[in-house]
Amino acid sequence: MDTKNLPINRKSSIAVARLMDWMSHDLQFKVLGGYQGFGRPVMTSDINRPGLALSGYLEYFANDRVQILGNTEIHFMERLPAARLMERLDGMMSFEIPAFVLSRNLDPRSLFLDMCNRRGIPVLRSARSTDEVISRIILFLAEEFSPETVVHGTAVDCYGVGCLIVGDAGVGKSETALELVERGHRLVADDVVALKRHRDDTLYAETNPIVEHHMEIRGVGIVDVKSVFGVGRVRNRKTIGLVVELEEWRQDNTYDRTGLKEEFVEILGVPIPYLRIPVRPGRNIAIIIEVASLNHRLKELGVNPAEQFNNRILNIMEEKSL
Amino acid sequence: MAEITEDVLVVNKLGIHARPAAALVQKMLVFQSDVFITFEGNRVNAKSIMGLLTLAAIRGSHLTVTCTGDDAEEAMAAVKELFASGFGED
Repeated sequence: MDTKNLPINRKSSIAVARLMDWMSHDLQFKVLGGYQGFGRPVMTSDINRPGLALSGYLEYFANDRVQILGNTEIHFMERLPAARLMERLDGMMSFEIPAFVLSRNLDPRSLFLDMCNRRGIPVLRSARSTDEVISRIILFLAEEFSPETVVHGTAVDCYGVGCLIVGDAGVGKSETALELVERGHRLVADDVVALKRHRDDTLYAETNPIVEHHMEIRGVGIVDVKSVFGVGRVRNRKTIGLVVELEEWRQDNTYDRTGLKEEFVEILGVPIPYLRIPVRPGRNIAIIIEVASLNHRLKELGVNPAEQFNNRILNIMEEKSL
Repeated sequence: MAEITEDVLVVNKLGIHARPAAALVQKMLVFQSDVFITFEGNRVNAKSIMGLLTLAAIRGSHLTVTCTGDDAEEAMAAVKELFASGFGED
């Protein structure tokens, strides 16, 4: 599989309005003001607590980040004389600020709200604690900004291991997935698999919102796996643990015979264990993928059957040579 | 159809463990000849990893190799070369 030349999409900015997608972070924001600024861009997943900026120190003011106002900032503003506060906020707002986010259902001073309204800087408020707001926003934004790509393949959750099945057209990816679903596993996506990176070490597959869990099976047509097999046999998202490449059996190709040497493939910079499985009549690929998944789980638990087996052989030979 | 029988010596330190066995099987698969290895009264197919492992052939073991088929000579040459090279191990 050519993973080096995948088209990588990465957002350089998102509109503040995206922060209202409460499904993703459940911060249940209420908008206190600055509606006109919902189109303002957020360019980084980092946040800033503008305590120093409020106290007048504007050098190195990280204005391009979402500004979090917690207890400290709100009470500090409360205690500043109105004229002084206005001067400080004017200073801050001379920089481009994407949005202010308040935690703990805090009430800001009306002067602050007026200024945000006038300048069109959105002010959002959540009932959650400040640390909760900060961690949820950072995670949400990091996810928004993480690179993604689309591959031609099939993603199945097999015994809890996310398997990305790839291979040339017609090699049997969909049919294999169908058999896996029939055997009780879950389909994530067929044909069009969106892959996204989570943090810097996890890759997950996502269902395409248009295709959903429809599959095209040659000779049958379009099948909706969710209606045919039930909602328990599909899922929308799964971390990928294993990449399985199916290919026509080639005599000259050397397939792994022992499993002692592990191969990896790098997708979006994340190395994923990789298996190449030759396809040929009489080989039940679904069962092979089931076994590969279970073997992968064993390895994750620290058990390497191939290695243990070889060590046993080596021990037997050592005893013999004594 | 030719049948050739020759002895080979295990020279690598660890003997015929999984890696050398896999290397031998991989090599033998390209020949259509049957290749069997006899050691201490056991006769196994050289195209089977598990079979080769049951031999537990340590360094210094003499194995008897029998190749039967049209490309028996080439197969034998390949076997001898692999054993002599110690399967790329010490």
